[in-house]
Amino acid sequence: MSNYDFDRVSVLLVDDSPFIRSLIANSLKVLGVGNVYAVEHGGDAITFLQRVKNEPMKVGCQQIDIIVSNWDMHPIDGMMFLRWVRRHKDSPDRFVPFVMITSYTEPDRVMQAREMGVTEMLAKPFTVKSVGEKLVSIIERPRQFVHTKDYFGPDRRRQAIQMPDGRDRRVLTDKSEGVEIIRG
Amino acid sequence: MANGKPVIVRFYRFKNRLKEKTAGLNPSGKVSLSAEAMEEAEKALSKMSEDYPDWVSGLVGKMQEQHGRCVDTPESRKECFEEIARIAHDMKGQGGTFGYPLITAFSDSLYGFTQIKGDIEDAVVELVKAHIDAMRAVIRGRVAGSGGDIGKSLTEGLNEAIAKYST
Repeated sequence: MSNYDFDRVSVLLVDDSPFIRSLIANSLKVLGVGNVYAVEHGGDAITFLQRVKNEPMKVGCQQIDIIVSNWDMHPIDGMMFLRWVRRHKDSPDRFVPFVMITSYTEPDRVMQAREMGVTEMLAKPFTVKSVGEKLVSIIERPRQFVHTKDYFGPDRRRQAIQMPDGRDRRVLTDKSEGVEIIRG
Repeated sequence: MANGKPVIVRFYRFKNRLKEKTAGLNPSGKVSLSAEAMEEAEKALSKMSEDYPDWVSGLVGKMQEQHGRCVDTPESRKECFEEIARIAHDMKGQGGTFGYPLITAFSDSLYGFTQIKGDIEDAVVELVKAHIDAMRAVIRGRVAGSGGDIGKSLTEGLNEAIAKYST
């Protein structure tokens, strides 16, 4: 069995706590992530992503592969940043995997992030192991993206769930009218 | 769509480029995190944990300042509590990561008491102080983990203060 080689991977890390920022950046680097760009809050992160889009040579980065962001930050928090990444016309990559770090683990908060198109949630307090597991999950279990009139983001269903009577709860299938599949 | 019917849902199915990027010559095979790298990362975390008490004592100091303002200028209690809540929320998320679950537990409790909508009574300000004192004791004594007997007595002391000022 071989090991992941994260050398060509670029991660944007967004956290306003210098201590946590340094911990995650350090952990990612030790795990072999080639480029970790760390900024303080959502506003800085948006500026950074715009720079990557407009002047990649200057930044030294063509593309951010994964975003890891805290939720609770000032003045632009993680949810506002996620909204920008998924929905704004200037977003350089609306499909980028987005890991939200949070102490808010109440179900309605998790639901809120899910509805905004988060890829993974990392609950605080976290361990190095849980950071590693999220990386693996992003790589090994990527989900299709879904775009409807109310939602854009990773498929909120991770599994094909069937009703006890064997019916599929999903109303639309790939062959249904009004379903478009885009491959790339 | 080709037939001109409106699209209700679009599914985007892309190649797993991240897997291709990270799995080298074996993108379809079994790939795992390097055990050595994980061990190194754990070591780096332990090293940082040594500095955590010093760092967090700065945050507790900031909360203490806010508590002082609550006592001296009762009219600014609302803003002070907002700041205390913000710091407590941060600390709640960090303590456990660095091996200080008591800091997380006490911050969590403190955060709960800062979510007051109406007037902030003196008793609640005292409760903030009780939490700050308990946190200081954890940091001063480097009470890591559950803290054994010391941890138990600190938790009990805080619970007694909560019972006293909550009534």
